[in-house]
Amino acid sequence: MDQLLSAIFAGTSRGAIYALVALGIVLVWRGAGVINFAQMGQAMFSTYVASNLIMHGTSYWVAFVVALIVGTVLGAAVDLLVMRPLSGKRSSAMMASPAMRGTIPVIASLGILGLLQSAAGMIWAAEERGFPTPVNSLGLSINGNVMPFTAFDIFVIGVVLFTLFVTTIFFQKTGMGLAMRASALNPEVARLSGIRTSSVRTLSWAISGAASSLAGLLVTPSANLSPNTLDLVLIIGFTATVIGGLDSLPGGVIGGFILGLVISFINVYDSPSDVFLAILAFLLLVLLVRPQGLLGSKEVRRV
Amino acid sequence: MLFFWVIFFLGKVFDPYNQGQLSVVLMFFIGILSITFLTGLSGQISLGQGALMAVGGYACALGVLNFGFNYWQSIIFSVLASLVAGLILGITAARLTGPYLAGTTLVIALAIPSLANRFESVFGGDVGLSVDFGNPPQWLVNATGEIGFEQWQLFATLPFASVALFVALNLIKSRTGRSWRAVRDHEIAASLTGINVQRMKIFTFVVASGFAGLAGAMYGLRGIVGPSVYPISLSLSLLTGAVLGGLRSVEGAFIGSVIVVFLPDLIEKVTGNWQLAPQIGNFLPAMVSSLLLILTVVLNPAGVAGAIHHRRSRHK
Repeated sequence: MDQLLSAIFAGTSRGAIYALVALGIVLVWRGAGVINFAQMGQAMFSTYVASNLIMHGTSYWVAFVVALIVGTVLGAAVDLLVMRPLSGKRSSAMMASPAMRGTIPVIASLGILGLLQSAAGMIWAAEERGFPTPVNSLGLSINGNVMPFTAFDIFVIGVVLFTLFVTTIFFQKTGMGLAMRASALNPEVARLSGIRTSSVRTLSWAISGAASSLAGLLVTPSANLSPNTLDLVLIIGFTATVIGGLDSLPGGVIGGFILGLVISFINVYDSPSDVFLAILAFLLLVLLVRPQGLLGSKEVRRV
Repeated sequence: MLFFWVIFFLGKVFDPYNQGQLSVVLMFFIGILSITFLTGLSGQISLGQGALMAVGGYACALGVLNFGFNYWQSIIFSVLASLVAGLILGITAARLTGPYLAGTTLVIALAIPSLANRFESVFGGDVGLSVDFGNPPQWLVNATGEIGFEQWQLFATLPFASVALFVALNLIKSRTGRSWRAVRDHEIAASLTGINVQRMKIFTFVVASGFAGLAGAMYGLRGIVGPSVYPISLSLSLLTGAVLGGLRSVEGAFIGSVIVVFLPDLIEKVTGNWQLAPQIGNFLPAMVSSLLLILTVVLNPAGVAGAIHHRRSRHK
């Protein structure tokens, strides 16, 4: 029973982080039509910045905020420096077909990932370091009973739920959120109704950057920080997005939680070395039954 | 043929280290060709070619160790095995497009090496299986004189690379190559001209995976077949090479493999006297190749071969 409960709690807290990663991926996909494989590279970079601040005596919360800002700026920079010039080349022979228009930015984002990782390796010597948690990460005890979850788990789930809540409010209730939804739905019409679609696009990169650097801050205490640690988080988060449906924000979030639970159950009841096989099997199963993901909308193609 | 003799000649004049590097160039060339087919010609992205190389490598090692094949029999065996793997992969992947495909192949690239740990008794776990090219046959030694280890590695790779080149050149020019380009440029138009798009995509995966398996078999024969030989970064460096050289042509694939293999050496030669801190020196090649990748994609997506081709056609 205890084993089951701790699997559920660990899975939910991990799943919350994957949901955050998925949120970042869906935002950029809907806003700019790009899958950003550099996303967790950006998060790794901002987490290193935070870790450095903490090592020099800054408080956790200041470092936390600084990391979020760095993540936001990095997200916007990726769009302004690489993706915007790239989308100006849509008419070139190489990107004439829809298939290549999806492929080329993916390659560019892999390049950015490599750049960020090697830069982090140069600056911080690729040493593995731990990362602190703001609250106790030992099993919480209430009335002398050790609970199957930690205060940090609660913290993670709380922060993520709060972020999801704020994001939903932003998209449903504010003018900027409406503009972003309009640009994602139909860029042409959005532009005609006076929305600056290119700034909206940069904004979605920036928000995605903030979300993923938050995910980085939350996941590193349990994974140690090195230039490559967050690769796996990205891949799992991306799988979560594909399972949930690439163009659906709730889909990505649900996919994240599902995947977190699946991984946690495999870890507890089977062995950690099978995690990727299980993910692959689960992914293929979902894609064979619903190629557009659980909540994704079916692509309508016109000739 | 010309290709064969030029490389053969280079193999005679290079020192052992560069002979080894040159043979890796040939292996990468074959591996990158598989990306040329998939991404450059038929418009499907795969981030998991390294995993297919692993399939080839393991098949080859099992052939040598368990079935007692010699190296060329087991290479053929490994190509067959990876054709089958490609068929399975293709049937699943042909339904997917763009980002879905990228993600699925990426997960495959992670999952396949972990099979080695799952079935440790067969695949040797983290340590892997150790194999090699064996010794050069006597007639070759008689014909060319003493053959070093690296030189034999190169000479053993060369015939396969030449065959791969021959097949690739013909495939691209053939009806199949034209169908690939049609599928890439407009799926619906392609299907209207009578191409079975699904079947074509599966076929592309099968061919590409055969090439990747061949590359992987020889990559493993350098010494060890294990998860650390086929990491996920291998898939990424193949993709980097393909893009830098030029995604759409055989020349591009070759130029790309030369760049990927020799770039670290070149950087070391240039910066050798600068007394860089080791942490900077270690990451410099990765940084330069990532920068080159970004710049290529943004400024010249057709790669080196594309730029040469473009200039030539403008002068005509």
